[in-house]
Amino acid sequence: MSAPTLTRPDGAEARVPVLSLGPLGALHWKGRAVLVCVAMLALAVVAALLTLTIGELGIPLRELPDVLTGNGTRAQEWVLRTNRLPRLLVGALAGAAFGVAGSIFQSVTRNPLGSPDVIGLGAGAAAGAAAASLVWPGFVPASVGALAGAGIAIGAVYVGSGRGFAAPYRMVVTGIAIGAMALAFVQLALARATREDAFAMAAWLNGSLASRRWSDVTLIALALLVLIPTALLLTRRLQLVEMGDDAAIGLGVDPTRTRNLAVGVAVLLTSAAVTVSGPVAFVALTAPQIARRLTRSSGPGMVAAACTGATVLVVADLLAQRLPFGVQYPVGVVTAALGGVYLAILLIREWRRGAV
Amino acid sequence: MTSVTSSTSVPTHTAGGAHPAAAFAEPPLRADGLTLAYDKTVVVEDLSVSVPRESFTVIIGPNGCGKSTLLRALARTLVPRSGRVLLDGAPISGLRTKQVAKRIALLPQSPLAPEAITVGDLVARGRYPHQGLLRQWSATDEVAVRDALEATEVTNLRERLVSELSGGQRQRVWLAMALAQQTDLLLLDEPTTFLDIAHQLEVMDLCAHLHEQGRTLVAVLHDINQAARYATHLIAMKDGAVVAQGDPQEVITAERMADVFGLACRVVPDPETGTPMVVPARRGGHIRHA
Repeated sequence: MSAPTLTRPDGAEARVPVLSLGPLGALHWKGRAVLVCVAMLALAVVAALLTLTIGELGIPLRELPDVLTGNGTRAQEWVLRTNRLPRLLVGALAGAAFGVAGSIFQSVTRNPLGSPDVIGLGAGAAAGAAAASLVWPGFVPASVGALAGAGIAIGAVYVGSGRGFAAPYRMVVTGIAIGAMALAFVQLALARATREDAFAMAAWLNGSLASRRWSDVTLIALALLVLIPTALLLTRRLQLVEMGDDAAIGLGVDPTRTRNLAVGVAVLLTSAAVTVSGPVAFVALTAPQIARRLTRSSGPGMVAAACTGATVLVVADLLAQRLPFGVQYPVGVVTAALGGVYLAILLIREWRRGAV
Repeated sequence: MTSVTSSTSVPTHTAGGAHPAAAFAEPPLRADGLTLAYDKTVVVEDLSVSVPRESFTVIIGPNGCGKSTLLRALARTLVPRSGRVLLDGAPISGLRTKQVAKRIALLPQSPLAPEAITVGDLVARGRYPHQGLLRQWSATDEVAVRDALEATEVTNLRERLVSELSGGQRQRVWLAMALAQQTDLLLLDEPTTFLDIAHQLEVMDLCAHLHEQGRTLVAVLHDINQAARYATHLIAMKDGAVVAQGDPQEVITAERMADVFGLACRVVPDPETGTPMVVPARRGGHIRHA
């Protein structure tokens, strides 16, 4: 039976999702993508309810609606409004932003390793934030510093690759070098800083959602409101550009313009997310990959990546808060472990099926 | 010498006689004074050429002669340094690329199949130029995809992953994607490279069939004999310039093969089709043979 490719009909049947929406392939995976998004969001809601209710001051699930609508005790309301709710929302929204940014970058570089955290964008944003808050404090807010840092990093990648964003492999390699330089700058900033500043900065650099404020929620929510629709508009064009520049032009898509626009959107998303949560490791790398594999989609699925990113970060932050070692871990430590393991499992499964 | 039989002994060509209407029609695709370059290397200089309407035009020439570069310029995937490409008389650079994609389909040399894509989904992507933001799929699209799958005989592969297919099947799927664009012009950049001889002929037969249905085809080919067998119009290039063009019977002569490819050969009628066939001279032995 091990004679390969002779059992084609069976193999094909097993591989094609059972959801049959007529003979049309496109509807095919979209149906699956909707399912994945719903499942992801359900998981996120469960994690969110746990995040809001358990903790030092437990809020029973039954009382949660009352507390949310302003009918709880003063202590309950304080904990929820100033602590848990903004933290949860920043986590979910930043996760979504990382997911979409990762999806765009992996599409542009045609490489799962081409995510913003690998090619130096996260590190650039961190260096910018470090410069703004430690090296030259008081000139600009950390968010502007992060945007400037990410902008400089991507500019350096654009110039350094020699062909802009048109050479994926060069882009990844250049990005890794730029990322290393940005991290060196961060270390320099840390070394110069006072002990307290350095400690706070180090926590943020790991990626942390502790003591988030409503202003953070507003920032990331506004960014998503503008940028996610833009990313959605670019999805179909990005799909075609993945087939190569000539093929894309043949189908009526300008690859250079599509890439530049998409990278711009991803830089803004990453900067906003890094500003509110720090350069959380691995979410931008893993969320789109997890989404792509679960949806079995053949292109960047922005909505699925956003849902997956949000879920990964919310679940990771729940774990970070509740790990039983009496310490509050920065969420970045958990995402690195969690996302990394899950990606490894998925990759191994794909290898076994021979699909990678 | 060895060029005993040359095209002069073959019955005269029939250009103008075979397609009287085509002869007077404006060429759908025309290059006018093209200079083409990659970075600083100029590959083609001041080249003008026309693609006759409803022809199966094949561009031949040695490696590096600029034939693929010319095709890329005709397909607007390479922006000329100077000169212009005219689509039905209008400069192609002035047209919206999505509008051009409704007129010209391109099969690039090495397109990348996205990961985990099915044949049906890939072919459906050929419908992009006909779709809008709100109208992403319609019955017309469905019919076009079905027709394209049928024409290339890959209907039964529709649900299969492209990554599982053989080279020949994959090439037919890419052709199906180009066909789904429903254009009257089809440009093919070395469509038979990497295929074995049987699959090469399969692809060429398919192209000939598409041509018979009234499409204008432009292909870059390596195999001169296949070019001679299938083309209705040949363009021979050397060092970035057009050396000869016209009916294959006229273009393929022993002298020209020696000039263009540096190949000593005989040109004999193809025993199957009567089209000119290049038979390379015996290497090193041909003098003794003579």
